Amino acid sequence: MDRSLRKRLEARFADRLTGPVRQRHDQTEIRIRPADVPEVMRELHDDPALGFEILADLAGVDTGTHMQVVYHLWSAGTPDWLRVVADGMPRDDPRIPTLTGLWPGAEWMERETYDMFGIIFEGNRDLRRIYMPPDYTSFPLRKDFYLPDDAARSPGGGVRHMEQTHTPTQATPSVVRRTAKA
Amino acid sequence: MTTTTPHQHPSADDPRVLLDDQVGAFEAVPPYPPRTEREAEFYSLGDGEMFLNMGPQHPSTHGVLRVVLKIDGERVVDLDPVLGYLHRGVEKLCETSDFHHIISQLDPLEYISSLFMEWAPVMAFEQLLDVQVPRRAEYIRVLTGELNRVASHALFQGWMALDLGGLTPILYSFIERDEIVEMLAAITGQRMLFNYFRVGGVNGDLNHEFMSRLGDWMSRATAQNQANIELLNDNEIFVRRMRGIGRLDRETALRMGTTGPNIRAAGVPFDIRRAHPYSVYPELEFDIPTRGHDGGGDSLDRYLLRLDEVKQSLRIIDQCLHNMPDGPVMARLPRLLRPRPGRAWAAVEAPRGLFGTYVISDGTDQPFRMKIHDPSFVNLQLVGLLMKGNLIADTMAVMASLDPVMGGIDK
Repeated sequence: MDRSLRKRLEARFADRLTGPVRQRHDQTEIRIRPADVPEVMRELHDDPALGFEILADLAGVDTGTHMQVVYHLWSAGTPDWLRVVADGMPRDDPRIPTLTGLWPGAEWMERETYDMFGIIFEGNRDLRRIYMPPDYTSFPLRKDFYLPDDAARSPGGGVRHMEQTHTPTQATPSVVRRTAKA
Repeated sequence: MTTTTPHQHPSADDPRVLLDDQVGAFEAVPPYPPRTEREAEFYSLGDGEMFLNMGPQHPSTHGVLRVVLKIDGERVVDLDPVLGYLHRGVEKLCETSDFHHIISQLDPLEYISSLFMEWAPVMAFEQLLDVQVPRRAEYIRVLTGELNRVASHALFQGWMALDLGGLTPILYSFIERDEIVEMLAAITGQRMLFNYFRVGGVNGDLNHEFMSRLGDWMSRATAQNQANIELLNDNEIFVRRMRGIGRLDRETALRMGTTGPNIRAAGVPFDIRRAHPYSVYPELEFDIPTRGHDGGGDSLDRYLLRLDEVKQSLRIIDQCLHNMPDGPVMARLPRLLRPRPGRAWAAVEAPRGLFGTYVISDGTDQPFRMKIHDPSFVNLQLVGLLMKGNLIADTMAVMASLDPVMGGIDK
């Protein structure tokens, strides 16, 4: 745990944090609004005092009640991983600005997150499905997508939900059995 | 009757099937309107350009990758990789498997360096559970992991030559890999999908067969490494087909999220073993080789860098054997793992770069969400940048030098 990083982040992003800076093991976590992502990331990357120049990971999360995008960053200036959680996107229309202007390598990671969760990265110029076939209509890692053999949790008692249409803009009323404070 | 009426199922022997009924799946241009700006731009042809479909069964794609090349004569203008032929939904499966079961789900991701696919998730689970791993287990992890790295890089060398048209080196690579794989089989019980690391330690201590095989191999490993280097490094065709091809500079490598040997060959000394130390790596002596200081690394630099890494891995293996402490190889843990709700991220330096895992626990014996970050997936994006303007034949040289494994890319 890097206490000085925590102080620096609190001082720098005070008005943009939506929760306390959390630290556990070798990770420091901040929470921001999705709209602030490009600006906060640019400061984290460009400011020599922070210097987070490597985007280690970009992950989508469906908490059951809303959507998140989670970024992990690495900097030579701190022994911690920095986790940036862009929190509070509605499940029926999750939208977040793209990060491809800063890290062009985020393009495929955003495509993957779109493919799996239906999160729309505004400004990504190649936001199409990457793993699933182009005519596929569901988003498999959403919590209302049940595996056919996961009958115990499925509201249809094991009926295959694979072909059910979920588009972020016209979402069907979804049944979510498992939620978490993520 | 020899004619085929429309309502009859056409025979595969009928030559007209090939003439006038082209199967859409094998056409380069997708049969649907473009979905994005980039797709529309890619699938519109300029003057003198044509599409060439490579894969998904092409042997140089290291698995089942399809690449649509837009070519002008012999030059590649642009390309569009099409993924997903190996997608198994591993992340979804992990959400319905318990923490012990997940380890075996992850082995087939990068099937030639499976131990690293187990290592990062196991580290993340240990953080969630606040487990202290015994020191002997950590040393065994490093020892077996570095052996796996040597095996993986040996195979890379053979593949690289195979993609450039040389058949001999892969035979030698497989000899070396086979020795290591048999050694690991003696300790893990499996040749490829080891399923060896456990939350809190490893499954089984070092045994006599492993140690005797390792001793035999170590006595000639350095000489073998030198022989592998001499086999190809002075080959003029091999060198000239790679030098100056696919040059990647430092800034692009950082911005593209590249990790592993590819970024170190571009002159950035980023190696998780030193950049964010884990396990017992801080106690071990080794260097981080880098190359490409004259304005970026080309395919040859990426190839040579992996040979440098093998030397460092041999150093680490040697130190592990000398410093191996006594003690248990498993922490005491309940059989059913139920971490408290929380989040954890762990990353290791796999042979292809940063392999990371982000786990969210909701207090049950299954993770609520498990994100797998695979280095090959991010590194493969580079082919789009590095290939432009090169010859079609060099596609293989560039792609092989990035060393992608489709099992990990497609998850």
